[in-house]
Amino acid sequence: MSVEAQGDYAIIGTPVPKKDAWIKVTGEAKYADDLFLAGMLHGKLLRSPHPHAKISHIDASRAEKLPGVRAVVTGKDFPGIKYGSMPRTRDYLPLALDKVRYIGDEVAAVAALDEEIAEEALDLIRVDYEPLPAVFDAEEAMKPGAPQLHDRAANNISAETAFQFGDVAKGFAESDYLQEDFFETQPIKQGMLEPHACIGLWDASDRITLWASKQSPYVVWKQLSMGLGIETSRIRVIQTYVGGAFSGGKQEAMPMDFCAVLLSKKSGRPVKFVHTMDEVLTIGHLRHPMKIWLRTGVKKDGTLVAQHLKIIADGGAYSSIGQLSMYLPGAMLNLPYRVPHVRYEAYRAYTNNGFCGALRGHTIPQVCFARDSQLDMIAEKLALDPIDIRLRNALRPGEITPNGFRIGTFGFTECVEKALQASGWKEKRGKLPRYRGIGMGCASLVSGARVMGHSASTAQVNVHEDGTVALVTGSTDVGQGADTVLSMIAAEVLGVRMEDVRFALVDTDTTPADPGTFSSRVTFWTGNAVKLAAEDARRQLAEVAAQKFDTDVKEIVFRDRQVYVRDDRQRQLGFEELVRIAQHRQGKVIMGKGSYTSGEALIDFRTGYGNMSPAYTPSACVVEVEVDPQTGQVTVTGLWGAHDCGFPLNPMLVSGQVLGATVMGIGQALYENLIRIDGKVMNPSFRDYKMPLTEDMPKLANVGHVNVITNDPSGPFGAKEAGEGAAAGVIAALANALYDATGVRFRSLPFSPDKILFALKESDSKREERQAR
Amino acid sequence: MGNFRRLPRFDYLAPQTIDEACAVLAERPGDARLFAGGTDLLLQMRRREIAPRAIIGLKGVASLSFIRRQNGGVAIGAMTPFSAIESSPLIGEKHDFLCETAAGIGSPELRSVATVGGNLSGALPCADFPAPLITLGAVVRLRSARGERSLALEDFFRGFAETAAAPDEILIEIELPSRPACSAGAYLKFHDRHAMDMTTTGVAAFVTWDAEKRLVADVRIALSVSGPIPLRAKKAEAALRGRQVTGEALEEAALLACQEAKPRTSWRASKEFREELISVLTKRALRRAGEKAQAAAERGNA
Amino acid sequence: MKHASPISLKVNGDDYELSIPAWRTLLEVLREDLNLTGTKRSCQEGQCGACTVLLDGRPVYSCLFLAVEAQGKEILTIEGLARSAGALDPIQKAFVEKGAVQCGFCTPGLVMATKSFLAENPNPSEEEVRRAMVGHLCRCTGYFQIIEAILAAARERAGKGAQA
Repeated sequence: MSVEAQGDYAIIGTPVPKKDAWIKVTGEAKYADDLFLAGMLHGKLLRSPHPHAKISHIDASRAEKLPGVRAVVTGKDFPGIKYGSMPRTRDYLPLALDKVRYIGDEVAAVAALDEEIAEEALDLIRVDYEPLPAVFDAEEAMKPGAPQLHDRAANNISAETAFQFGDVAKGFAESDYLQEDFFETQPIKQGMLEPHACIGLWDASDRITLWASKQSPYVVWKQLSMGLGIETSRIRVIQTYVGGAFSGGKQEAMPMDFCAVLLSKKSGRPVKFVHTMDEVLTIGHLRHPMKIWLRTGVKKDGTLVAQHLKIIADGGAYSSIGQLSMYLPGAMLNLPYRVPHVRYEAYRAYTNNGFCGALRGHTIPQVCFARDSQLDMIAEKLALDPIDIRLRNALRPGEITPNGFRIGTFGFTECVEKALQASGWKEKRGKLPRYRGIGMGCASLVSGARVMGHSASTAQVNVHEDGTVALVTGSTDVGQGADTVLSMIAAEVLGVRMEDVRFALVDTDTTPADPGTFSSRVTFWTGNAVKLAAEDARRQLAEVAAQKFDTDVKEIVFRDRQVYVRDDRQRQLGFEELVRIAQHRQGKVIMGKGSYTSGEALIDFRTGYGNMSPAYTPSACVVEVEVDPQTGQVTVTGLWGAHDCGFPLNPMLVSGQVLGATVMGIGQALYENLIRIDGKVMNPSFRDYKMPLTEDMPKLANVGHVNVITNDPSGPFGAKEAGEGAAAGVIAALANALYDATGVRFRSLPFSPDKILFALKESDSKREERQAR
Repeated sequence: MGNFRRLPRFDYLAPQTIDEACAVLAERPGDARLFAGGTDLLLQMRRREIAPRAIIGLKGVASLSFIRRQNGGVAIGAMTPFSAIESSPLIGEKHDFLCETAAGIGSPELRSVATVGGNLSGALPCADFPAPLITLGAVVRLRSARGERSLALEDFFRGFAETAAAPDEILIEIELPSRPACSAGAYLKFHDRHAMDMTTTGVAAFVTWDAEKRLVADVRIALSVSGPIPLRAKKAEAALRGRQVTGEALEEAALLACQEAKPRTSWRASKEFREELISVLTKRALRRAGEKAQAAAERGNA
Repeated sequence: MKHASPISLKVNGDDYELSIPAWRTLLEVLREDLNLTGTKRSCQEGQCGACTVLLDGRPVYSCLFLAVEAQGKEILTIEGLARSAGALDPIQKAFVEKGAVQCGFCTPGLVMATKSFLAENPNPSEEEVRRAMVGHLCRCTGYFQIIEAILAAARERAGKGAQA
């Protein structure tokens, strides 16, 4: 991988507006719900009202007869093949067959002339259920005698992970001080504004087309094939603009996708499904709620010696990617601090709640919350500065963690220092009035990971004779800016302008297969592929130019739509002209190809050992809060984040990612909670599932984002991820700020006003007791 | 599941005058709903909590939307949207805390459409406007084909979504009597986020200050979302009447308000938390209203 | 029960004669009958702002408004904002240039709300912007670039140029 000299880029590093922003700001961009096909029908899903029940009989005859209904499907209409992301734990069905496992589990679907008729038809489907005992707590679910959700999972254990690096017992014995805490996190939802939506078409030539809002269309393509029992060659998934994803249903094939295509087959018409927001907020996927036990041993100077982490996660009714979800917390405990001895055990239990999977940050925010809260507690106990303890233990470039992460660039100490500077930490910490506080939380994320068989990204650059470039990848833009940064990379390499590059939406018929958009992989993996593809095209053009100018290929410069000999602008021609020369005189159509994979071996999930990612991205977040002690309400009065993204290909978009992720973290810390009572979601609405609003945010003057630039040699133009990392550290930052403000330590999410108020009262009364004595 | 559906079917009737509206309502007792802003009703209909066979849309009755001086006080038409109350110079002059209350409801989009009459007639426990209006001694006027009558707002609420209005009566106007000299009000509510949430609990206080004796001549306290209907905390009022606004007096009033309120535990908030909030908000509302009233007195202001 | 009745809607300066039942919201009619899909269908309960349109210049949640009641009003949707391709409203330009658009689903609603807001308050403070946009959810940006865009649009409209 060639390393470009920094600076002197024409486009890279500039705040170019997002390419598709122009059509989004006019309302012209078509999302799946905006598409209307001739003769299209509308689909609705019937969902289980029971958390756990056998299905003894479904009678859809009355629904079928309702005027305007064109087709009805149930589980029996599908081949009964389970699909899913991980080979050993596939347990999704398009529609439930013999059993339902959570309130909301899909049981039947109808297609009708309009949504009103479809809804009415659902009322007419009679499902005979035999309710079964249900279990809603992970620990309860794992006890003998608990209701069993899946035949093959004894004691409802969905995933079990255990690994140890070093010798934790020895480490604790050598420690001067041990800290042990229990933390609890809550279930949260992606909260994107665009509900899941798709249109399915099973055409007369027996081919299937699915237009859908998906972040990983190839995952959907393969899963559709699996669940339908039909070869992928007959399936085409066309990605529409994605109105927010954050993983979850847009990462996988969902019942709506299967039902849309099968209902289309039965009815002979396209079928559109759009979830209502209460459906979206009721169904899986969620972020795993966890019970976390963390025991940490340190030397009296704060050096970390050993950590023992145990997690019990409520995985909900299905597996999703549970194995990976459980691997991550223990693995990521090894970042961003040096921990010589790590022991990890995790259980993911099935319960009759909505199922859990990935959600921006996956299972990393939970462990960072616990770990970075604890660092502050340890620092206080040992009379150490909370910043010093972090710097003391900071990993440095070149190190290898006990579990095999090879640290390349890693500007963690710079992140901490920059966050301190930006926030005015030194002027504030310890000097703020009571009930105001400031705290720091740190984390690290990955830039994509090798966790499945095929991880490579491929790109193709087609250069047209008018000097424009068609960039074709299998990666999707979900709002994060992939369309733009990938185009910027191509434009920089070929020396053309942003407007000259067209970025293709993914269509599994024509774009190259790709793992998808998740794990913060696109800028790094697809970006590298794009750079290689553009360099390939450039090389072909450079050869033509070199011949024409009678010089070496190395001397040809491509910049601002011109191609010239370095240090001799006399020998110059327009890019477009060069392309035409290449095409016409030489009979070449210029197409560049590039592929990238990290080359790492797969993680050995049994031992937990392996280098998960080609690049790691540390971050430090500082939050300032004000607490109303009489109501417990928290106001975030300042937030500052420093994030090592390698090199900000587009500083404006990076800022958007980092700040957006931070605000999502604030939502989890303070407001969000999917409240379930006996498996029923009580707040499936944006009114009661509370996400941050403008008025919950600090003033612009008190918000800062700083890029730490480390120029990673493995990333395209030095870039690493910026999409998820910042979400992981902010929760601990808030916990630590609240402690600073109130003297009370909160270990259970969310930090809601009632919890804070009663904790303060208890702490006050304890203080009074002590003073009275 | 799929709790949230397309709207159910209904006849839509659009009277142009109050009399027409009364006549239409009289023709369809029991199966027609009055539709003001509609922002609450549409959601209830989507959730199939109600499915009226007819909707009587009042947006076309222009004479129901007004804010005017009346009998020394102010009258507000039932169809007046919150955006109009928020920015009304007249209400700002007479009862600025009503402007604040209106401004705190939802968002600009909601306030463009949601009306004060709808807020009262809907009688949902989470409504914010009843409590402040009760402290002002508001009177509502109800009209039907049979005639018109007035009723103290305090007596208007009967239970969850239940009012004293007969099935054929329309709430047409809210009249606020003239404000005594040296008086002011405050409405404070609590919710987790800084906006948009359903109110967890709210307290309105209206204090009349005796400038000569330097004590509370009169006080009215009303609570929102602290029970099935808005509650006037009369014992708390009695404890404060004729006293200075000291910490001790406020504590007493707050304690009594808590006792009079009947907050319940729900998945939204526990009884204990609501009680804490009632106590805090009562003290704060009284203090704020008291300070404003005293300031008015000091300005020599009525 | 009567079903469809004739209604006249004036949308983006154009007059439409439609025959629709009363139980259709303005949002549904705009999207499904007039194919104006720029206004988005999201929470449908007046919490997220994705469906905001202007009625006689005032912002409303079109998901909470019956189409029949929008008769006689000037309805302005996102499609009615740009005078022509390449001649975007300064608000739209500012949203693009300040990074306020990520997934874009909240964007039309926010732009319409901004249009109404700046018409009434051409020189707003940051606090006023925040308050005016409180009825809009954005999950992608965290709002900061949106607030910057609105302040920039205000400056642009006032002719002060794009400098901060």
